[in-house]
Amino acid sequence: MPKRPPKNPRTSFSVSRRTFLKTVGVGAAATGLVALAPRPAEAAILGPDAVPLALNVNGATHTVTVEPRVTLLRALRNHLNLTGAKEVCERGACGGCTVLFDGEPICSCLMLAVDAVGHEITTVEGLGTPEKLSPIQAAFVEHDALQCGFCTPGFVVASTALLKNNPHPSLDEIKAGLAGNLCRCGTYSRIFAAVHKAAQQRG
Amino acid sequence: MAQQDPTGENTFRVKVGPAENPVTLVVHTDAGDLKPWDLDSRLRSVKGRHPRLEGPEMVTGRAKYTYDVRLPGMLWAKMVRAPIPAGKIVRIDTAKAERLQGVKAVWTTDAKLVRFAGQDIAAVAAVSQEIAEDAARLVDVQYEEAPFVTDLEEAMAPTAPLVFAEEQAPAPPNAPRKGNVTGPLPPAPTAPARGGSRGDVEKGFAEADAVHEATYRVRVHTHSVLETHGIVAYWEGDRLTVYTSTQGVFMVRAGLAEAFGLPRNKVRVITEHMGGGFGSKLSPSAVGSAFAIAACRLAQMTGAPVKLMLDRREEQLCTGNAPGALMTVRLGAKADGALTAIDYRAYGEGGIGPSSRTGGPAGNIYPQCPNVKLEEYDVFTNAGPACALRAPGHPQGAFGFECAMDELAHRLGMDPLEFRRKNEAHPFRKVYYDVGAKAIGWERRNKIPGEVPGPRKRGIGMANGNWYVMAREAVAVEVQVHRDGSVELFHGAQDLGTGIRTALAVIAAEELGLRPADITAYVGDTRFPPGGTSGGSTTTNSSGPAARLAAHEARMRIAALAAPLLNANPDELEFADGKIFVAANPGRQVSFREAAQKMPGEVIACLADRKRQFETFRQDLAATQFAEVEVDVETGVIRVLKMVGVNNCGTPINLLTAENQLIGAQIQGASWALFEHRTLDRNVGTMVNPNLEAYKILGPADMFEAVPIFTEGANAGNNTSATGMAEPVFVPTLAAIANAVYNATGIRIRQLPMTPDRVLAALAEARKGGKP
Repeated sequence: MPKRPPKNPRTSFSVSRRTFLKTVGVGAAATGLVALAPRPAEAAILGPDAVPLALNVNGATHTVTVEPRVTLLRALRNHLNLTGAKEVCERGACGGCTVLFDGEPICSCLMLAVDAVGHEITTVEGLGTPEKLSPIQAAFVEHDALQCGFCTPGFVVASTALLKNNPHPSLDEIKAGLAGNLCRCGTYSRIFAAVHKAAQQRG
Repeated sequence: MAQQDPTGENTFRVKVGPAENPVTLVVHTDAGDLKPWDLDSRLRSVKGRHPRLEGPEMVTGRAKYTYDVRLPGMLWAKMVRAPIPAGKIVRIDTAKAERLQGVKAVWTTDAKLVRFAGQDIAAVAAVSQEIAEDAARLVDVQYEEAPFVTDLEEAMAPTAPLVFAEEQAPAPPNAPRKGNVTGPLPPAPTAPARGGSRGDVEKGFAEADAVHEATYRVRVHTHSVLETHGIVAYWEGDRLTVYTSTQGVFMVRAGLAEAFGLPRNKVRVITEHMGGGFGSKLSPSAVGSAFAIAACRLAQMTGAPVKLMLDRREEQLCTGNAPGALMTVRLGAKADGALTAIDYRAYGEGGIGPSSRTGGPAGNIYPQCPNVKLEEYDVFTNAGPACALRAPGHPQGAFGFECAMDELAHRLGMDPLEFRRKNEAHPFRKVYYDVGAKAIGWERRNKIPGEVPGPRKRGIGMANGNWYVMAREAVAVEVQVHRDGSVELFHGAQDLGTGIRTALAVIAAEELGLRPADITAYVGDTRFPPGGTSGGSTTTNSSGPAARLAAHEARMRIAALAAPLLNANPDELEFADGKIFVAANPGRQVSFREAAQKMPGEVIACLADRKRQFETFRQDLAATQFAEVEVDVETGVIRVLKMVGVNNCGTPINLLTAENQLIGAQIQGASWALFEHRTLDRNVGTMVNPNLEAYKILGPADMFEAVPIFTEGANAGNNTSATGMAEPVFVPTLAAIANAVYNATGIRIRQLPMTPDRVLAALAEARKGGKP
C-alpha cells in the first residue's frame, strides 16, 4: 500500500511546514500537512521562484527547475515527461501516482519535488519497457488485469513493492498490500491473479 | 449458401439462441453482407482469450492519455466554478487574474444564472499548471444568492424554490409540470414493442392472491472516472485539433464544429487512450460544463495549445452522475406465482438534468405480465445534472423492482428463484438460472431468512436485469495488407477500456487466418473511418461487423493472389495459422506473406461500410446476478463474499476482456449498493464529499470472489452475432446484493447505500417489532 511520504526526509533541502507556508503562502495546499516540525537551523529557505533540483529518477540524475511548491508527481509529469504516474484524486486516496521512494511505495502527489532530492525515485517507466516487461507487468498483460489502464501504473508499482517486501503473499496480504490503490473499471480480481502469478514465477 | 434475391438482399438460415436449446432463424441481410457466425461456426480466434494488444504500453506507463499530452508552448488552463447553488451572477472581475505574471488569457461564461454549485464561471490560461491555479483563485465573482433546494423529497413540495422558471426547464414539451416535478414522462424511446405500460393494473390487482407494495430509494452515484474530463486543443489557422477524453470522437467533432462555426473537415479529434467514461463522456464537453469550448476559445485567443483537465472536485460536481430515485413498486401475483400486475411509480433525482427515468426493468424484464403501469417523473434540484451511466436508469429501477419481486416471493412463500422461473420468458435467462444457481450454491441459502445463529450472518440472493440490442450503422473499417504481409486496421471509434482495438484485430485475424497480434490496430481518431459513440453497449456489435467485412475483402484479394501459386480456385482456399491452403488438401499451402508478395503494388487497402442491422434471435438482452454476503449484525458492516454474473452476448469476440467487463459490473454495482452516495449539504447546497476518500468507491480490501459466466449462444443481427454486454450485467447487481442481505438477516433494507448505520437502524427497527 503506498504510504504517505516520510515526514522528515533526510535532505538538506528539507522544507518544514513553516518554510513551506513561507514559500507558497497560506493556502489550501497546506491543509494536507499535519507535521509541525521545528525548522532545522541549517535548512534553506527556497522560493517562491523556480529553483533547480537534481532528481535521481530511474537510475539517472535529471535537473528540473521548478517552484518549491511543485509536487514530485508534477515534476515527473510536467517537467520530465514521465507521465506513467497519474494525478487522479490529488490527495493520497487512490494510489494512481504511486512511485518508489528509496524502494518504498509513496503517493507522489503528497511529496514536494524538493523533498525527493537525494533519494532514489523509480517510476513505472523504470520497471520495464513494452519490449522488456517486468514479470509483474507481463502478468498484468497476460491476465488482462486492466481495462482503461489509467490506474494500472499505480497498481504495477504498488505490486512491485508488495512482492519485494513479501515475495509470496496470501490473497489477504495482496488485498492489504494494494488497499491504497483504486480501480474504477473493476479489475481487482484480475490484479490479484496477476500478482499471484508473478509471485509464483519468482519460485 | 447465400441466396441473392431480386431486392438485393441475402437470405441466410442460422442456428442461434442458447446452445442448450438452439433454433433456426432466417435472416435477410444487405447485399454483400456475410453469413453471420452462429452456433455451428468453427472459429479460431473469435471466442478465444486474447490479452489486449495495447497491454504492454499500458503496464509500462507509455500509453498516452489526453491527460498525458504535452505540446510545445502549451498553456495550462483552470476553471473557476460557482460556489453557491443558486443565484445571479452580478459581476465577474478578471482584472487581478489577468495581471498575474504568466497568465495569457481569461474566458468567462455568458450565463447569468447559477443553478448548481460547480457551474462554469470562468477559465484562465497560463504558462504553468501552478500559475493557472493561482489565477483561478484571483477571479473575483459577485453573486446575488437565491433560495435553493438540493433534497429530492423537499424539491417535490409545492412550496419548494423553483430550480427552473417554467419556460426554461429541460422538460419534454408535452409532459405535465408542477413546481420542480415533471411528469408523468412520455414513454421511453428505447422501450421495445413488447414492454412498457400495458393492460389494466387495477384488474390485475383484483385477480391477485398476494400483493406487495413498498418504497425504495437509491442515491446519486457519480461516475468517478479515474481520468477526469479534459482536453488539449490547438489551432493551425482555421483548423482545430483536439485530444480529448471522450466516448465519441465524431460526436465531439460535430459539437466543436458547430460551436465554432467550422465545417467538420476542419476539426480533428483524437482519443488514443482514455481513462474511463461509463456514460459521462457523451457530450462535446460534459453535461454540466462547457470546458471544451472554453479551452478551444482560450487556444484561439492565445494562439497556443491549451490543456484543460478538470480536477477531482470539478469531476464530482459538473460532469454528470447517475440520478437517484424514489420508487414505489406495487406487485400482484396468483398463488402459483404468476404475475398479474406491475405498478411502478418513480421520481428521478437528476439535479438540473432531465430524463432521470428508471422504469425500464419494471416494464421489460417480465414481458408476459399482462398488466403494467409505469409512471415516471423528473424532479429538479439545485445539483449537478445527471447523465447516462452504464444502462441509464436501469440499475436504480432494477433495485426497486427486483427487491419488490423478492419481497413478493417471500409473501407467496415461494423460493425467489422459482418465482422468477414461473414468470420467465427469456430463453437465455432460463439457462442462467440453472448455471448461476449451481455456481453460487443456491441450495445453501437460508430457507428462513436470518435463521443463522450468531452475529455474522451469511445469505444468498439473486436478481435480474435487462437491456436492449442497439447498433450504430454509419460505421466503417479499413484493413490494409502490405506487400510484406503485415496488416494494419484503422477505425475511428475510441477504446474506453473495453478492448475494442483488440476485438477488431481478433475479428480481422479470424478472416485472415492470422494471430490478433499480427494486426496493428489504430482507433480513436476522426481521420480514420467513422465509428459510433460508445454508449448503450454498441461498439463491438457496431464496429465488429465492418471489421469483418473489410478483412473479408482483403482475404478475397489475397486468395486471388494465392490461387495461382496453389493451382486452385480462390474459393477452394482456407486461411489459418498464417497459411493459405487448399481446403481439400491442406498440404498444398503457401504462407500469407508469400501470397501478399505477389500483390501488384505496395498495399491492398480495403474499406468496408457496416451493413444494415438485421433480424435477431432476441431484441431484449438479459442478465442475472447472484450474490453471497456476510452481515455483521453487531457492527452493521456488510461484506460481499461472492458474486456470480451470468450473461450472454451472442458471440463473445474476446472472452478474456468480456469477462473483465462482467467482473467490473459486479464491482461497480457492489460499490453503489454498499458505499457510494453523493452527499449534498442541504443547508448550503454544496457537495460534502467531492473527492475519492469521502466519496468511497470499492477498493481492493473490499473485494469478493467474482465469477463471470458467459453462456454459449448466438443472436444474429449482424455478421458477428455479437450483442452488447457491458450494461445488462450491471443492472441486477444492486438488487442481488440487497436480496442477499435480506436472506442473511431477515431484514429488508430498501435504501442504498447499505451503510452500517442503515443496517443497524433497520435491525433496531426490527427488534422493536416493526420487522418488515
